[in-house]
Amino acid sequence: MPLTDLPVGATGRVCALEGGADFCQRLREMGFCESAVIEKISGQHTLLCQLCGTRVALNDRAARHIVVELIPGGT
Amino acid sequence: MPPHFQPAAANAAPPRRQPVFALVGNPNCGKSTLFNALTGLKQKVANYPGVTVEKKTGIAYSQHGQPMTVIDLPGTYSLAARSPDEAVTRDVLLGRRADTPVPDRILCVVDATNLERNLYLVHQILDLGRPVIIVLNMMDLAAQAGLRLRVGRLEQELGVPVIPCEAIHGKGLVELRLAMSRPDLPLSRHAWDVPTAIAPAVSELQASLTAHDGKPPLVARAEALLLLTDSDEMRVAGSAPLHARTAEILSHWKKRWAADGTDWAGTLVGSRYDAIARLCSGLAERGATPVRASASDRIDAVVTHPVWGWLTLGAITAALFLSIFTLAQYPMDWIDHAMSALGSWVTTAMPPGDLRDLITDGAIAGVGGVVIFLPQILILFFFIGLLEDTGYMARAAFIMDRLMSRVGLNGKSFIPLLSSYACAIPGIMATRTIEDPKDRLVTILVAPFMSCSARLPVYLLLIPALLPNAVMPIPTKVALMVLMYALGTGGAFFFAWLFKRTLLKGEPPVMIMELPPYRRPRLKDVALHMAQRAGLFLKRAGTVILGLSVILWFLTAYPKAHDGASPQEQRAQSFAGRAGHALEPVIKPLGFDWQIGIGLIGSFAARELFNSTMGVVFAVEQTGNDDTDRDSLRTSITKARWPDGRPLFTPLVCLNLMIFYVFALQCMSTIAVVKRETNSWRWPLFQLAYQTGTAWLVCFIVYQTGRALGF
Repeated sequence: MPLTDLPVGATGRVCALEGGADFCQRLREMGFCESAVIEKISGQHTLLCQLCGTRVALNDRAARHIVVELIPGGT
Repeated sequence: MPPHFQPAAANAAPPRRQPVFALVGNPNCGKSTLFNALTGLKQKVANYPGVTVEKKTGIAYSQHGQPMTVIDLPGTYSLAARSPDEAVTRDVLLGRRADTPVPDRILCVVDATNLERNLYLVHQILDLGRPVIIVLNMMDLAAQAGLRLRVGRLEQELGVPVIPCEAIHGKGLVELRLAMSRPDLPLSRHAWDVPTAIAPAVSELQASLTAHDGKPPLVARAEALLLLTDSDEMRVAGSAPLHARTAEILSHWKKRWAADGTDWAGTLVGSRYDAIARLCSGLAERGATPVRASASDRIDAVVTHPVWGWLTLGAITAALFLSIFTLAQYPMDWIDHAMSALGSWVTTAMPPGDLRDLITDGAIAGVGGVVIFLPQILILFFFIGLLEDTGYMARAAFIMDRLMSRVGLNGKSFIPLLSSYACAIPGIMATRTIEDPKDRLVTILVAPFMSCSARLPVYLLLIPALLPNAVMPIPTKVALMVLMYALGTGGAFFFAWLFKRTLLKGEPPVMIMELPPYRRPRLKDVALHMAQRAGLFLKRAGTVILGLSVILWFLTAYPKAHDGASPQEQRAQSFAGRAGHALEPVIKPLGFDWQIGIGLIGSFAARELFNSTMGVVFAVEQTGNDDTDRDSLRTSITKARWPDGRPLFTPLVCLNLMIFYVFALQCMSTIAVVKRETNSWRWPLFQLAYQTGTAWLVCFIVYQTGRALGF
């Protein structure tokens, strides 16, 4: 599911990045590489996530290109 | 012998001059703190010629007292540049800029809490074949997060010095200075495999870059790899373009791969990530129970909350404006008195004549009228420095993102717009962090609508003049002031919306932004930042504004009317008066006469010159006392009449004048900065035309409606 659909408070693992090569490259540089673990902190339109120890804000246009799988029981 | 086996020129040549260190790193890795800690007050801030990217250089001293130049390059996540800032970093490191020496050594600052991500840039930098020192900053935060880093192992893997450090507490600086002083820094022995499909292209490009673009072989190799990742489109003025031959080779290979379906960029980036992943395995140990809900997280829970977040932002903005308007008043009065005293002293000390008028009415009044804003600018930069230093600014952008997206911009455009309330120039310069060129242009085009501090004196003069015979209650004054700010802000949002739908149509922006952990601000850093701003501002006042004031004085003082002419006759006769008369047909539908026309022309140099021009036009006697001066100016403008005896400054006209100042681009410095930023005259001229057009149209509607309603 896209990161936008991940429930608030849940943790997911990045499975795939969609969109242009340049955009994916930027996501990777920011740490959103495949298999990275993301915790969604808050937000609907603009999301707040925790990723490898850093807070990252991203809007829904960016987040819908990040496909994650829910890690059950992850906090 | 293949070119990449030649010794790097930078290492072979004996050091001829003081060594140049470049400081690079990801945004928010504490690079600027380290720069300040290394160089202290020995800093120089300028612009890279042709671009509004700040060039910060400083002098650090080795353990033996030898001076070393340190260049603080803008933060970036990779050498694949997407904004002018990042392009400057890339171009300095690749030796593409003639205005900056190629750094001999590179200090790579790494955020220890986020090693894996930071290593991407490090990995690209190591390719450059220059001696590198890795500074593992924020070790304290890493420890707090339960991270244990094997520094020795990283050093062993890469073969370059790795210095653990806490720049904010000054820890690790001695070790860093010692490493910087070493005469024999090793080159990295880290090697990674360029995919076989791409290797021939890399060596061919490398050979061409060495032969035609004059690059040392290892830099050429790094540049070849960068060219092939297809992320080298961002160009800035002042950087050398690629040689035609190199560009030809590049497009040849791209065509060839496109034909046989090789994803060259993806393959190359992928193999770099593989190399980093191998490097990282076993480097960091995460403690069993990483500390959850750190102080930073707890603050974020409030500050980014849908309700509390807005309240916090509102409170901070209110405090900012309140300080600008109240606290600044005292030092502003002192400056004003000092300037008036200087003026009166010159008046008494010099015999009457044109030279005396030039000094008092031209130089002192003109420069004084601008220098008086120094306290407000200092307060603004104090707040901005504080907000940036603590890490709040990124949260403000996060909160504003929703609102900004309604007009097609993203949260990153908020900071430039906020700065523009003080002055559009730093605001426009702050747009350089916006990645999308169209979004950046839209932000630049609308930023001058935000009421800057130079409009303030005009509002302050005109608001009480709205009700000439009565004392206006304070709440009405405040409401009028707020109305002017709201009008400008509304205009900015409207035009941003319009431009994003018409002229600069583009995809709704994508935003990804790192929120740095909260930090206690370092007052020293904030003070340094303020001092630099003040220096730049005073320099401008002493050069550009001084020159313009003198020209303005000349235009109102010449050609001379006949002997014994009254000052008013002299103004009508002068160049400025003639220009005012020429302008009158255009501005008459707005309720303005030729005398206001002089003010409008005069204040084109800088808005605040409106007050001094009006003082000159209506020949107010300077008394040396500011309150009396402002009151007497106000009294004399209320006495001004049209030739048919109607009063000139009716409440409607005063209101209209303020509205004109809200919308019109009456600022040469802004035009100059926009020209430099967009690298053409097209956008500043367009901006001048559309803003002035809007001002005229709105004023026309307001005046004609007002007249029809009997005001």
